[in-house]
Order: sequence, then C-alpha cells, then structure tokens
Amino acid sequence: MIAIALLYALTPAPSWAENYVVNVHGIVCELCSYGVAKKVRKLSFIDKQQFDEGVKVDIENQMVYVAVREDAQVDKELLFKAIRSGGYDPVKIWSLSESGEQQELQP
Amino acid sequence: MKYSLTMILCAVSGSAIARQPIMDMAPRWNDGYGVQTRVTHTNSQTTTWLEGVYTFKPSVRMTLKVPSVAGEIGDSIFAVPLKKYTNYKDFTSNWSVTPSVRIPTGKGDDWDGGLSFSYSSETKSIYQLYDLYALGDDIGLDINVGRVFPSGKGSSWFALWDVSAFDSNSGQRILTGPVAVYFKRNLVLRAEYKLPAYDDDSAWSGDFVGFNIGVVY
Repeated sequence: MIAIALLYALTPAPSWAENYVVNVHGIVCELCSYGVAKKVRKLSFIDKQQFDEGVKVDIENQMVYVAVREDAQVDKELLFKAIRSGGYDPVKIWSLSESGEQQELQP
Repeated sequence: MKYSLTMILCAVSGSAIARQPIMDMAPRWNDGYGVQTRVTHTNSQTTTWLEGVYTFKPSVRMTLKVPSVAGEIGDSIFAVPLKKYTNYKDFTSNWSVTPSVRIPTGKGDDWDGGLSFSYSSETKSIYQLYDLYALGDDIGLDINVGRVFPSGKGSSWFALWDVSAFDSNSGQRILTGPVAVYFKRNLVLRAEYKLPAYDDDSAWSGDFVGFNIGVVY
C-alpha cells in the first residue's frame, strides 16, 4: 500500500490536451489571419492533431484557438510573439478546461 | 526559398498601368511572400502581369511587377511599401508610403521614379483602400470600397466598387466599376470591370477588364 502511494506521488499528475484561446486585436480578415496560423503552428508545443493543424481562427470574435500537446506546456511569451510576427496584437489568453470553462492566464 | 523567388521574379522581368497595390491585405506577416498573375485588357490590348511580394516585417515589403504584352516584356515596377499598422479590437488599418521605380526592362531606356501614399482599413464587414500616387509623369488616385462577406470557414467574398482617376501627358480619365474578390485560405482571386465615367485621354479608349489569381505564404 505504501509502495503504491509512493509510486503515485512520484508519478507526474495526469495531464490532458489543453486548449487555449487568445483575444487578438485586429484579426478580422480570413486571408490576413493565414500568417498568424502559420507562425503559431511552428511552435513546438502545438498539437497539430486538433483544430486546423493545431490552430483555429475566429475572425467573428477576434479569437485564436490553439491546442497544446499533452506532453508540453504552453509558453505564453512565445505564443504572443508568434502572433505578433503574424501581424496582429494579442491581448489576453485563457485556458479552456475540458468542461469548457475559461480561466485567464496571468502574466 | 524567399531569395530564389526574388531571383526568379527579377529574371523574368509596356508602360501599362499597374498601380493597384499587390494584395494590399497580405502578406502582412514576417517573412511572408506571394506571387500573382494579373491579366488586364485595355485599349484592345491584353497585358499579363507577373507580380511578386516579399514582406520582411509588417512595416516593410518589396514588390515587383513585370508586364508582358504579346510575349514581349515591358517596363517593370519595383516598389518598397512602408506601412504603419494599427490594430483595434475588431478593426485594422494601415498607412503606407511607397517609393517606386519603373525599370526600363522593355523597349524604352528611361527610368522613372514614383511615390504613393495610401490608407486602407478593414473590419469583418467593410474594406476600404485609398491610394494617391505619382509615377513618372503620371498621377492617379485609386479608391476601393465595399462589403466583406466572411464564411467563417477560412474564406471570404469581397464586393467592392473601384474608382480610378488618372492624369498623364495624354489627358485625364476616370474609370469606375465593380470588383469581386474571393479568398480561400491563402489563395486570392480578383475580377474587375471598369467603364470610363470621364475620358479626355487621347491614349485611352473603351473599358477595362482585369483578372488576378495569387497565392501567399
């Protein structure tokens, strides 16, 4: 029993694929958003099995959804930098829980 | 890839008009590039343009436009659009200053300098572009304004109205007409038709028809 408890304590907490949503000012054009998706997809922590190769752009609400691999962690700075190099201004980021709840990530 | 593209475009290089900015909206990302072919029919003459754009960063691009009429290369136009973008919540706009040079890759020997000032903005439903330019002895103003119809699935239709005013040594004219633009991911299609609303230009006759197909990366 102690051995099982010890093994459990030493094992990393179970993880699941986490998704994030970023509010991006100015992203109102399907063609122009191609660059943002292109830059974000290059990030190592993106899960390309979800959305459209890991990214979904919602120009109606100026949101960019990103999927993060189970074995990786989102790097907010890199993500924001990639969006800026795509020509737009990221403002806020929220994590999306499996139940659909959003929680803002603080700097 | 980006340098080989530039080299190819340079290698391929009429005095036909080519003032419309290349894909004004894109590529607006670092190290973005694109090519497009534009076919225009004016004055009983068909001109095929091979156009390329490279974006170093959103504020600095370079473009090259190479015309061909009946298989003969005309004078090319090289330009460096310098842009200042501003992004608001659901609105984006940019001011541009674009120095350009007309290169005598055709039969002529003269180099011409040019400069344009432009402004464009876009919401998810409205697009507008104003471009005041001078190139050699020519001065012009292009205006594109209209509605955008995004599908929400990576494609959009644009229904625009174009007004092009032009002043040169041969006279003045104003052309106007509809423009349809379609985007699908990184593919751009554009079709336009313009009639002369005012024509006091001895070198001009009839209407204008143009088709573009381009892709950006």
